[in-house]
Amino acid sequence: MTPDVKPNIQVQIGTLSLRNPVTTGSGTFGFGSEVADLLDLNRLGAVCVKATTSQRRVGNPPVRIVETASGMLNAIGLQNGGVENYIAEKLPYLRRFDCPIIVNVPGENPEDFAFVVRRLTEVGGADAIELNISCPNVSHGLDYATDPKLTAEVVSACRKETTLPLIAKLSPNVTDIRPIAQSAEDAGADAVSLINTLLGTSIDIRKRKFRLANITGGLSGPAIKPVALYHVWRVAQVVNVPIIGMGGISNAADAIEFLLAGATAVAVGTVNFSQPTAAIEVAEGIEAYLAENGFRDIREIIGAVERP
Amino acid sequence: MIRKFLAPVTAHRELTAPGHHVLEFYAPELAHEAKPGQFVAVAAETGVQILRRPFSVYTVSPEQGLASILFSVYGPTTRALATYRPGDTIDLLGPLGGSGFQADPVAPVHHILIGGGYGVPPLAFLTQTLLLANPDAKVSVIVGARNKNLLVGTEGLAEVGAVLLPCTDDGSFGYKGLVTGQLNELLDQDNTPAHLYICGPTPMMKAVAGVAVVRSLPCQVSLEPFMPCGIGICMGCAVPLSDGSYARGCTEGPVFDAREVLW
Repeated sequence: MTPDVKPNIQVQIGTLSLRNPVTTGSGTFGFGSEVADLLDLNRLGAVCVKATTSQRRVGNPPVRIVETASGMLNAIGLQNGGVENYIAEKLPYLRRFDCPIIVNVPGENPEDFAFVVRRLTEVGGADAIELNISCPNVSHGLDYATDPKLTAEVVSACRKETTLPLIAKLSPNVTDIRPIAQSAEDAGADAVSLINTLLGTSIDIRKRKFRLANITGGLSGPAIKPVALYHVWRVAQVVNVPIIGMGGISNAADAIEFLLAGATAVAVGTVNFSQPTAAIEVAEGIEAYLAENGFRDIREIIGAVERP
Repeated sequence: MIRKFLAPVTAHRELTAPGHHVLEFYAPELAHEAKPGQFVAVAAETGVQILRRPFSVYTVSPEQGLASILFSVYGPTTRALATYRPGDTIDLLGPLGGSGFQADPVAPVHHILIGGGYGVPPLAFLTQTLLLANPDAKVSVIVGARNKNLLVGTEGLAEVGAVLLPCTDDGSFGYKGLVTGQLNELLDQDNTPAHLYICGPTPMMKAVAGVAVVRSLPCQVSLEPFMPCGIGICMGCAVPLSDGSYARGCTEGPVFDAREVLW
């Protein structure tokens, strides 16, 4: 290979082609417009927007976020304007860019998920849909992604409503993630994304109170990267659909670990809060790594990790 | 427009209030565009923190392209900033904040700015802006602290020409008592319609907002909830509003009409 030939970093999620394998973690990038001063949205593999529910949600009372060692806990409570607000207020702006849109959809029951998926499909409001069956802050103890049967119910209900790529976002708060990933695939998911946040809490010893108003929150950031990588590697052994790996990815080296573990694409999340241009830097870094190591195509390194 | 700066530090000053510093840096677009009440989000190499920390813009010198922040040493980021010297660079995003203070310098009103502690920097910037636009603007600044040693930023306020009304809980300097006592005294003496601008600890802001309600005075508050991102994407800095919803402190604030806020 001649050094001036750029390696191919385009990847495929179902029928959707991404110009590079880097997307943004839902809830860490707003609706794109907030960061448009700082980076060119056209250079992202895809933008995954903030969770969008059937109805408007006001979210949880503060305190919603606390910083922890190499990470942070959040309990936002899915504050958003609802799907109609997304379609009217957020979508037109995003469509000005040549960047695929992934909409993250939580729901209270399979019908609720399916309703939002149908609306987004009807109006062309998404290029792929990430089913948020694993948000730890609103489930009242019942995450669909903690049970293979419940996972299948949600994915099947949504599959009937759309031909858009469906991505099931999985929870790490389970004993074995593999049967859940398999169940999502069997029910018609085109891809799985993992991991959502890990459940955690934090206590202020001076006040002797929990720090988060919601008491528990979802842990994200560099602290969870080894856990995320482990789950991605395990799921890669048992599913055929592509995996979007996420959890603590802050730079290209982190992302390359996920690719080697078996992820086809990655999302950068918490790092966007401090470095909003991270997604572009990660994509550039992946390309540089491939070129430096003589790879012509990103597919050569996906799942290519070897035993020591 | 929000930009990322790796801004060269041009000066570092320690203030008389122990542990308080002013860091000045070269960031011409920021110096031109920042409005009083807006802030910057700073990333310092701390080795432990992953999130930026917000700091109100304290002063600007647009002609020289300079801006500054005022901070007290409190945690890892401010400990790191306290070591910055000319020649170092400061990593910041700014100017941030969807709304700064709205103040008409030529309006025939008495601008009364009330603050304390970390609330003083945006008030100094507002004073500077008002007096630059209209040297005859009537601007009084009430600054409160527990005692004389903890009064922050009075040097800067005096420099920009504010009529300074310091208050200390123990009477070691200026008015003895809370800022609301000084404020009520001032309002009783003066018949000019007053506009209030507040930035300080929440109990202080709540008390002053209460005075504004009783006296039917316009009142703007600059709130400072913990802002994990500062640019409106994390939804962490929720400010409860009186209509039952939450606003983002960073992009919908940090300055709010005091009546909109659920205190």
